[in-house]
Amino acid sequence: MIDRRNLLKGVTAGVGATFGSSIIPDIAHAASVTPNLTGAGRTPKRVIFFMQNQGFDPQTCLPTAGVGNDGSLAKATLPEPIEALEPYKDRLHIINGLHGKHTSPSHSAFFGALGGYRGSDGVPPSASTIDYELSKVLPETLLPHLCIGMDSMENMKAKPTVANLSASGAGQPIFMHSNPNHLYEMLYGGISTGDIRKQHEARSGMFDRIEELAAAKGGSLPSVDAQRYGQYVDGFGDINGLRERLGSVSDHLRNFAPEVGSRYTNPEFETDWHDILLDLGISALKSGITNVLTVGSGRGEIFGAWKGLGVEQQGHNLGHVKQPDNPTWIKIRQYNSRMLVKLMEELESVPEGSGTMMDNTLIVYTSNNADSQHTSGSNWPVMLLGNYDGAFKSGQLTQLDGTRPINALYATILRASGVEVDRFNMSDQMAAKFDSGTGPLKELLV
Amino acid sequence: MKSLHPALVAALMASGISAYAADTYTPGEPVEGTFNSIAIEFLDTHCLDCHDDVTAEAELNLLELGPVDETNAALWKSVWAQVALREMPPKKKKAPETIERLRFADWVVGELERVMEDKGGFYAHLDPKKGNYVDHDLLFGNLPKGIKLKPTASPARIWRVTPQEHITRLNELINTEPDFDPAKPGLRSRGDFIPTNHGGELKLYFGTDRIIRWEGGTVAYATAVKSVPVVLSSDRKHGLENYPDFYSVNSAEATQIMSKAEDILKYMAYGPMSLVGFPEQITDDPKTYDQSTKPEGDLRGLPTAIVYNTNVVRPLTPVHDLMKESGYSDERLRAAVDYLFEALTFRPPNREESDDYLEITKASIEKVGKEDGAFMGLSSIFLDRDALFRPELATKGKPDTHGRVILQDWELGLAVNHALRYIKPDYQLREAIVEGRMRTREDVEREVTRMLEDDSVRKPRVLRFFRDYFDHDLAGYICKDNAALAKTGASTRGVSHYRAMFDAAASSDRLIELVLEKDQEVLKELLTTQQAVVSRGDDVYFGRELTKEEIVIAKEEKEKAEVLATLEIAEERKILTKEVNALEAEAKANKDDKQLQKTLDQKKNELKAMIKKMADLKRKAGDEVNLRVDKAELSGTPEYARVSRRSFGSGSMNPARTLTEVPRGQRLGILTHPSWLVSHSDAMDNHAIHRGIWIRENLLGGGIPDVPITVDAQLPNEPQNTLRERMRVTSEAYCWSCHEKMDPLGLPFEMFNHAGLYRTMELDKLVDTSGEIIDSGDSSLDGPVSNAIEMIEKLAESERVEQVFVRHAFRFWMGRNETLNDAPVLREAHRAYADGGGSMNSLIISLLTSDAFLYRSVEH
Repeated sequence: MIDRRNLLKGVTAGVGATFGSSIIPDIAHAASVTPNLTGAGRTPKRVIFFMQNQGFDPQTCLPTAGVGNDGSLAKATLPEPIEALEPYKDRLHIINGLHGKHTSPSHSAFFGALGGYRGSDGVPPSASTIDYELSKVLPETLLPHLCIGMDSMENMKAKPTVANLSASGAGQPIFMHSNPNHLYEMLYGGISTGDIRKQHEARSGMFDRIEELAAAKGGSLPSVDAQRYGQYVDGFGDINGLRERLGSVSDHLRNFAPEVGSRYTNPEFETDWHDILLDLGISALKSGITNVLTVGSGRGEIFGAWKGLGVEQQGHNLGHVKQPDNPTWIKIRQYNSRMLVKLMEELESVPEGSGTMMDNTLIVYTSNNADSQHTSGSNWPVMLLGNYDGAFKSGQLTQLDGTRPINALYATILRASGVEVDRFNMSDQMAAKFDSGTGPLKELLV
Repeated sequence: MKSLHPALVAALMASGISAYAADTYTPGEPVEGTFNSIAIEFLDTHCLDCHDDVTAEAELNLLELGPVDETNAALWKSVWAQVALREMPPKKKKAPETIERLRFADWVVGELERVMEDKGGFYAHLDPKKGNYVDHDLLFGNLPKGIKLKPTASPARIWRVTPQEHITRLNELINTEPDFDPAKPGLRSRGDFIPTNHGGELKLYFGTDRIIRWEGGTVAYATAVKSVPVVLSSDRKHGLENYPDFYSVNSAEATQIMSKAEDILKYMAYGPMSLVGFPEQITDDPKTYDQSTKPEGDLRGLPTAIVYNTNVVRPLTPVHDLMKESGYSDERLRAAVDYLFEALTFRPPNREESDDYLEITKASIEKVGKEDGAFMGLSSIFLDRDALFRPELATKGKPDTHGRVILQDWELGLAVNHALRYIKPDYQLREAIVEGRMRTREDVEREVTRMLEDDSVRKPRVLRFFRDYFDHDLAGYICKDNAALAKTGASTRGVSHYRAMFDAAASSDRLIELVLEKDQEVLKELLTTQQAVVSRGDDVYFGRELTKEEIVIAKEEKEKAEVLATLEIAEERKILTKEVNALEAEAKANKDDKQLQKTLDQKKNELKAMIKKMADLKRKAGDEVNLRVDKAELSGTPEYARVSRRSFGSGSMNPARTLTEVPRGQRLGILTHPSWLVSHSDAMDNHAIHRGIWIRENLLGGGIPDVPITVDAQLPNEPQNTLRERMRVTSEAYCWSCHEKMDPLGLPFEMFNHAGLYRTMELDKLVDTSGEIIDSGDSSLDGPVSNAIEMIEKLAESERVEQVFVRHAFRFWMGRNETLNDAPVLREAHRAYADGGGSMNSLIISLLTSDAFLYRSVEH
């Protein structure tokens, strides 16, 4: 077994400045972590957010029968759209009855879906999002937060990075990657060959020179400014350092880097790139490059395409149909479910501690549109997979009464990550209106 | 008997000499001394009577306060604030001599800076919110004997460019904005700021000026077009946003800039061809695209849904020249490097810089070929220090006897340019710099005067100052609770309220510009004008909330209108219904009569259509009657406001406006316009405290200490009570010493609801709009006021208010807080403003030709 943690621990030491949000995101330093409730201390943990657009109708995930009085899914049969999860339902926790009325989710809450605040098309983030916050508190990795976005082939090519879902603060969007060639170069350029290698080397050489030039122009600054400007120059140190650090663990990374094939350069369908992007995300998790992965299927907007599944319709129309029993939505949800299964199987294949990587992982599957494309957000169904090192209950359905917001779920994950918070992005004034409780969702925690 | 802290005991024993014996004080000079020699006597003389272990007023025992250290820094900061603001000692006690107070406050700041240097630093005194900690009366009144000012200067420094500046620079590379149209001066033109889009996001749009067709509606358009959000961040919500020491550029921003730079360079080279999936999308006849490569199916939201015309409107630059032919020469490459360098830094590169970027680009080309290598290499220029920071280092020139060096040439020229503009220096200014005519005060006056007098030279920084000063542009970002918003009378449909607020900010901008055009009594006019610039829908926001009785009447009127509108059709419906009923009965009896069944179906459809038409007529008639609002009559002359390029399909971002008059007696000046009122509100209600703070700080020049960390600053959640009633908690003795400075100044605005509508009633009671100006520093202002209009009228007449406005202008244009050494600059600026009849131009010229603007103190 490869001792990833120890290997990477050595190379991350000394990394200081926060990368924030970027196409080469954080080499974040882990923020101080309160000894956590789970007693897990610095147990490596990771969280994956999978955000399917157009809404997540609860009827596409709620079993029609067999749910025990205690909410157990043991004797339930999962509905067709998520039947791929049937073998994993002991790890599944379906949550029905959260709300996001304050997020204005009709046509997507955009940043508000992961931020728990009002969002809309063209509205900048008003605060950081939960995935970014977790990336700061989870054990330090080379690249604490990675966002990937899946869309139509045209959009992924014309706009390979967009920012709709994640943010590191007010007005600070985090971009998601949609061109797997670019993402591969960033993660594995150092161990690549051919054109990717050349691009990587050219970019490396250029960044080195930029750093030199930037440093040279900081020489004559007054002391106060030198410190501030130093942050700028240090930033290049981070960028270049990330490359170097990734390079220095290249032997390790080779064990995880996906093989580059024709689907990278000549995809037949957009789903080819979706699959590859997921592979890259998984490889980043398995190799320990990152601990937080955000997957935007539909990139947080109201379009998206899945022609590779035989879905001829694309975009907005998909949100204008009822999802239950809809053949198109069954295909999309089944595709999502297969991706979730792949995530679990891959993480399960890597031993960690006395178990596997999946034992310390939480996958949060939901939609940036609550339950449907045109919605008030009064119900925001969520599926959790994994128990996060024993912190979350699993194998069950929890029906809530619609009075607690998605912010409460995010606060719960923060709690399980060792951060003592009662709320996430919700003032007391807003809570008086939108949250019937305070603190974590106890129903979810062990 | 006081139980003294050991350090204090020892120090008191050792201390026998007054630390304040020195009879001269020079602001800005370090106060030499220790806790023993400086602090103890001051605390003993002025503080311990009330704050010892026996009395411990406000549960504060200063006997336990030792020398400044990391653990007591927060308390020392409070001590500094209380003393600097003359809050302590209280008025009933003997006040310290001015010099004694100033020296003590300076010493505390010095100690906090020293102690916190490697613990995150101490910067509170540099924050613009603390600018008023400098005594107004000392700045504009007579200085006590012993205070010796020294010639002022600003520190040598670098300023990170603002998000607005940065995105405007990038926009200049890919978009050609229209020239200024004197006939429609409100329309956005080259040099104006880039407005936020329909949702309030600052974005750079690619190729929208060439789009002639797209598929789908508003959201489809917004998704299909290419746009990138501004990269540089600004995390301040209120007030002056851009002091040099606020920001750097982090690595996340740097990598994003690089990534977006390549997109920009590709657009510079190829225009919309860099955006499309098929070349046929660029055509003046969209049918040719339809008939050739256009993909089948639903294209909404996709780049292939867009058709661009063939009219090349983007600037054609050396980057275009470089990429339009195969291969490259050093000459072409250098031309592209030099062009980009000046476009991004606003000055030409020196030979070394040009060589550096030429070398980087050539190295990239050698690695990955011309196409990718040129874009990759040239993108490095976007990260040059001077593309992101503007230096004012004053490295040329000899320091005077006070260690000051006057800025000159490019540094001075770009400082002047930055004071007014976001785009690069115009031809005249550039020539002046190159020819050595930007080195003196007179040079600056010449160029500033020229630019101020020329309307075609757009000056977005002046407007930015007013946005920072009034904060009227925040309304669209205030997230409203829908139920609470519905009660105000404003629409809760979709995002209409937020759109209205972004429109309102643009309208207020235009009103400010109109006042600036006249340039007479600018502040007074802004505070008291009866004029307003409005857009469609503002008749609600400038309207009046109906009373309970009026709502009953309005409901009756609505019902009447609905009945009247459907009277005729209702009769027809009755007849048709009877006919259908009869046919149904007949059809039931003759089930095999297919013709009869057909007739029945036809009549049923007619009835269905009639019912729908009736409902439509009813809704239309009903919508004419607003059940909550007496809409304002807002007729006037056409105007225009600066709005974004189309970002959300048809109908969004309409620049059309009307210059009108507000309902008299209900509103007066910009502080009573919805943009300002909503900007100073919250999700559920008005924010009387924020409004009061704004008046206290921005008009009266007062300071308010930070909220003590022990205070749980929450009002009770009592929907049955008015805001004023809920604010009773702030009148507790412990809170009131601060809240008396804000609440009575904010509560007069209760004459408006939290969407900015005028109201006479609140929760079915007459709304209480009373307030009071307390301890303003100008005794003629102090006293009760019956509502916001009376308060504004009083304030607008005050010379002190005018001086405070000048102080804020100083901070904006100097990028720092004023010190006592700036007193002569401030007095002169105020004199210029007043002598010019309240002229903003005179004020700006005075500030930009002052020592504070021209000179930099340099480190030795």
